[in-house]
Order: sequence, then C-alpha cells, then structure tokens
Amino acid sequence: MRTIDIVLKNFSRRKGRLVFSSSALIFAIALMISVFVISNSMQNKIGQEVEKYGANIVVTPSSKTLEVPYGTVLIGKTIIPEKYVEKIYEIKNRQNIRVVSPKLYGQIEYENNTILVAGILPENEKALKVWWSIDGSLPSEDANEILLGAEVELVLQKELGSTIEIKGTNLKVVGILEMVGSVDDYTLFMPLHIAQRLFEQPGAVSVIDVGALCGNCPVELISAQIEEAIPGVKARPVKQAVETRMIAVEQNANFSLVLASIILAVGCASIVNTMLSSVHERRREIGILMSLGADSSHVYRIFLLESMLLGLVGGAIGCALGLASALIVGSVIMNLVIDLATIPLLPIVLSYFASVGCCIASGLYPAMTASKVDPVQALRSI
Amino acid sequence: MIELRNVTKTYKVGDTCVAALNGLDLQIEEGEFVAIMGPSGSGKSTLLFTIGGLLAPTNGDVLIRGKSIYRLTRKERAEFIRTNIGFIFQTFELLPYLTALENVAVALYLSNVPVLKQYNMAKEALERVGLGGRISHKPTQLSGGELQRIAVARAIVKKPPLLLADEPTGNLDQKTGDEIIQLILELNRQEKLTTILVTHDPNKARLADRRLLMIDGMLKGGEKNDK
Repeated sequence: MRTIDIVLKNFSRRKGRLVFSSSALIFAIALMISVFVISNSMQNKIGQEVEKYGANIVVTPSSKTLEVPYGTVLIGKTIIPEKYVEKIYEIKNRQNIRVVSPKLYGQIEYENNTILVAGILPENEKALKVWWSIDGSLPSEDANEILLGAEVELVLQKELGSTIEIKGTNLKVVGILEMVGSVDDYTLFMPLHIAQRLFEQPGAVSVIDVGALCGNCPVELISAQIEEAIPGVKARPVKQAVETRMIAVEQNANFSLVLASIILAVGCASIVNTMLSSVHERRREIGILMSLGADSSHVYRIFLLESMLLGLVGGAIGCALGLASALIVGSVIMNLVIDLATIPLLPIVLSYFASVGCCIASGLYPAMTASKVDPVQALRSI
Repeated sequence: MIELRNVTKTYKVGDTCVAALNGLDLQIEEGEFVAIMGPSGSGKSTLLFTIGGLLAPTNGDVLIRGKSIYRLTRKERAEFIRTNIGFIFQTFELLPYLTALENVAVALYLSNVPVLKQYNMAKEALERVGLGGRISHKPTQLSGGELQRIAVARAIVKKPPLLLADEPTGNLDQKTGDEIIQLILELNRQEKLTTILVTHDPNKARLADRRLLMIDGMLKGGEKNDK
C-alpha cells in the first residue's frame, strides 16, 4: 500500500461525491480556458483585419507649419525626400512591414474647383487600401493616367476615357473610385512622378503610409525605428480604432475571467466543504489509522493528496472542456476560426496549475482538521 | 512489560468531573494474558486506549517496556504504537474499500515497509489466521468471523509484543467468538504476545492467565486462573 493507493481506492467508492465536488472547479477552469481561447482568437482576428486594412503608421515631415488636412493627418509644405522611402525597408523590424506607400499632396484649380491631388505609387496604394473598388483600372506608373475619387467625378462630370488638362499636361481618366467615405472621395490620384513634375517637387513626398503586420506587433517600436532611420520625420502609429476594439475584447475577457475566478472561488469553497464533510464522515477511518500508529503527517498527506488529485484531474478535465467549448462556441456561435496551434500555451498551463494550487490550498484546512482528529473519540463514535 | 502508576482519567461532563480511571496501579508481565471484565461504563475500554497510547491520562504514568509513553512526542508515540502495539476492536474496524490483503498491509504501509514486502508479510499473517484463501475479498464479502480474523492478522502483522483486544467477540456468535479467542490464545502462547483482553464473557476471561475486574474506574482483585 502507498498513500496514492489509499486515496485512489477511497475515490473509487465515492465517485458521485467526487464529481459533485469537482464540478464547480471543472466549470471554472473550462470557463477560464474558453474565455482565454476565444478572446485570443478575437484579438488575432482583429489583428488580421488591421493587417489587411490600411496604414497603421503615417510618416510625415516634422514641421511646425501644417496646413492641409488629410484624414487625421495634417500635410504641410515641408516634404520628405523620396530616397528615404527605401530606408523603411531597412529598419530592424522590417519583417513587420507589409507595404510602404509614399504620396505627394498638392492642390490644383480646375474649372473653378480646388481639387486635392495625390501622387501615389498606384500598386502600393491599392495594396494598402484593399477596400478600394475601382470602376476601370489603376493608373499605370509610367503613363499620364489618373484615378478620380467618387466626389471628384461627380463635381467634374468626367467619364472613363475622358481627359483632364492640368498645367498643360493631358491626363486620361482610367479609373473612378467607388465611394469609400473618406478623404479619398475628394482626391484625384495620379502617379507619383507625374505629381512631382506638376508640382515642381521632384524626388519629394509629403507623407508615407506604412502598412505593418501588426496584430500584436510593437507598432510604437516600428515607428521609433522609422524616425531613427529617416531624419526629420514623425512616424505616428494609427491605432485608436484598433485599440478601442482590443480594449473592448480585453474588457470582455477580463470580465469573464473575474467571473471565472469567482466560480473558481466557489469551486474551492465547495471542495473545502466536501472535504470537511468527508473528514467528518471518515473520522472512524482516521481513528483506525491512528490506532495502527498513523501520526498526523500520515493523515495530513492522505487528505492533501486527495485535494491535489482533485485539482490535477479536475483541472485537466476543465482544460479539455474549455478548449472543446471554445472550439464549438467560437466557430458555431461567434463565427471565429480558432486555430489551437496559435494559442499561447503558457496562460493555459498557468490556469491549470492555478487550479491545482487552489485545490491544494482548499485541501489544507480539511487536511489539518483530519490530522487533529482524536482517535479515541473517532473510534467511540461508532 | 506494562506498568500503570496511579493513572487517573477524568472527563468533564457539564460542571462535574467524571473519573473513568481512578488512580489505577497495574503491572503486567511480558507474555502474560490478562482479561479485564466489568460492567459497561466501568472504564475497561478507556484503560485499553490509555495503555495503547491513544488516550493520555489526566494524571499518572504509563510505562511500556520501561518507556513512559505519554512523555513521548505525538510523533514518537505514533512510532511506538506502530512497532509495539496491535489493536483488535469489537466492530473489526477494517477499511471497507480495501481487500483483506490491503487492510493488513495498511499497518505496514504506515511503517514505510516496501510495497512488495508489505504484501508478502500481509499474506503470511492472513495465512496464519486461516484466511489465506480470502486475500482479495473486500469486507462486504466476508463473514463476521472472517472480518475479525483479518483484524487479528492486521494487529499481528508487525509482530508487536503487545496485543490489545477490546471485546473482540462482542459482535460474533458463540462458536465464532470461541474460535477467535482460541486464535488470540494461540498467538499469546506461541508468539509470547503480551495480551490484554476486555470481555464481558467470564468463560472467555477464564482462558487468560489473570482476570481483573473493573468497577467505577478502579481495578478490583486480580484473580489468577489455573492453567
């Protein structure tokens, strides 16, 4: 006989009670794990969306004379030399860079309208703004072609194939943007080098939009590296919307974790209660062991091992149930793709050991009570 | 072997003190078989538990093999019980979820005997009490007599010098009770086990070397039996 044999054989006759006492613990761990897995997958999903949609770093010259508003960014007269664009691909975290899209902004007067013009690298801009839907095509980099924002098209009444003369250069309308609800609707897009020529700013850009693969990447760090690599620029991480969504997910996850912790506490209380009643019921058994020469440490070990086993087994079942329910709830109800391979293992392992720890802690008092049972009273209570 | 010096055990019941043992002096020789008789509530079981190291007296001293057992720490006393004392109870006191073999092996587990040796020794002890063929049965599958034999095997498996039996035949029919007493007597004679038997039955007490009568926490007489 070993202590573990005594504990396991005793468990085998109290299966129902065992299930009852460990159910709250199993439920708490399952909830913790499923909340963690689902919120982790939600964060990943948001991260992937962020990677897909738009720039998350905007590089502008660090000038104090800002004049032209562009979305949340103000474009000034100061420019960034185009040759510095390449430097962004040389920063330490360059593996996080998905696309770099430099732009030169300017204004033109056309038929009594002031129009915002953006010189772009068309393919790069399209890669950055995957939501763009174009009637026609993107301008070619080497041709005198333009893309009209939806509002610009409405004001100028220009169709695909028509031409616009700007500063003596005929530019052909090859594409019209569908309404996107941003400053792009009011912008006329043309290849960067043509804009540089029209505005007489060769080799200059006003702003560089950077799309970084930034689900959870250190966007601040990348911004700092860009500022370090390019003299005289300010790299601003655009993360407000992402952060808001991340905060919402985190708040939900935190609330659920608080809930799970409360359930875990209830589970522990249930274990304490069940084990205390078990100690009371098994006073006779304790008395027998003491009459055979068991000291407090023998009794203490038996009861503590019981609570430890409850924690180990209950925690494992809870983890398995949590993962299973996360898969089911995530995919069926929340339409999330949960890839177990991408879920960090450490928090799950920590939750598991936390449950084991809670169980052991819950067993301490009952074990202590058991070890202090008076053998004579226990044997006489028969 | 056993020496009790002015042993008193009092319990507080409400505002009054009740003396379960009232200034007892007793000496029992090595290998002696002593029967203690007396009416219910006279203090027989209290005396047995006190000698067995489970119930500290209020006053007085209990010496076994020259060692004052209540001057030992709890841990030392538990160790002393493990190596020196075997208990047999009226209601057998087996662990219901263990087999006969495991019930006997538990006594050795407490003494840190290696598992394989535990089972070999437990099997030997069960064979000694005539239960070699029932080692894998659980208590619910055995008769009263068989249960008490397992309890005897558990008490002697550590080969202790002292056997304490608290009305071991109280829950058995006459015939089975006689068999158990014969077994205890045999162990006393063959293994030279010092034995104290608490019983109500004068016929069984007559088999002991000495009969003691306990009344109101005091020992009366000390009749020696003819062998």
